[in-house]
Amino acid sequence: MSAIVKTITPFIEKEMLLQALDCVGCRYTLNHDQIITERKDYYGQQKFVWYKGRYSFQHDSSAELSEFNRRWGSYPEGWKNNWKAYQSVNSFLQAVEKEYNRIYSEKLAELERIRLEKIAEQERIRLEQEMKRIEQERLAYIEQQKQSIIQKAKEQGYSVQEKKVKNKVKLILRRNTY
Amino acid sequence: MAEQTIIIEIDDGGKIKAATEGIKGEMCLDEIQSLIEGFGELHSVKKTDEFFQGQTLNVTNKIHSRIE
Repeated sequence: MSAIVKTITPFIEKEMLLQALDCVGCRYTLNHDQIITERKDYYGQQKFVWYKGRYSFQHDSSAELSEFNRRWGSYPEGWKNNWKAYQSVNSFLQAVEKEYNRIYSEKLAELERIRLEKIAEQERIRLEQEMKRIEQERLAYIEQQKQSIIQKAKEQGYSVQEKKVKNKVKLILRRNTY
Repeated sequence: MAEQTIIIEIDDGGKIKAATEGIKGEMCLDEIQSLIEGFGELHSVKKTDEFFQGQTLNVTNKIHSRIE
């Protein structure tokens, strides 16, 4: 004998579960680590309870029938014909799961987009700093060239006139000989 | 009294162009070299008429010295 057992996605993220409940149109109230839904069964309101790292749905196994009775009257004849009109616990959880997974995927995509933006922003800042550093080094080198030439020229008796022509530094050195 | 002029241009990449006026012979190269030495590899040297005027004078002087 063999069996195949499947579970639904564990509801780990509270905010996403609440959004999923909103999406399936299920109202709820919060009570500490419980999300109490508007769904009712024999034992009262069905709820999600934080248990071993996930929100576990607690309900009475006869809930579907009692809800059916609430909607359609006491155990009716021919009830099977109307059964699909009410969302069973299983289909409710599947609907919540579907929305939860959709919201989860969107959240992941959003986080990935933000992450890439951050990386791009960090890279942009790094490149700007690199460009600034290179530019400062170039200007510093040119200034060093200029100062060195001026100093040597003065030591050799030249008068120095400095001009800025377009992007060039022009030094005119003059001295008189006899 | 003679005026000696050296015009030095440093472009935005740090390249240097130097030209002399009123300095004859190899002395003009020596003057430039003393000023820009260590600021990059030499790309080209173009000698003007003044450069060769200086050499002619030197040769002439040497010849006169030998005769005397």
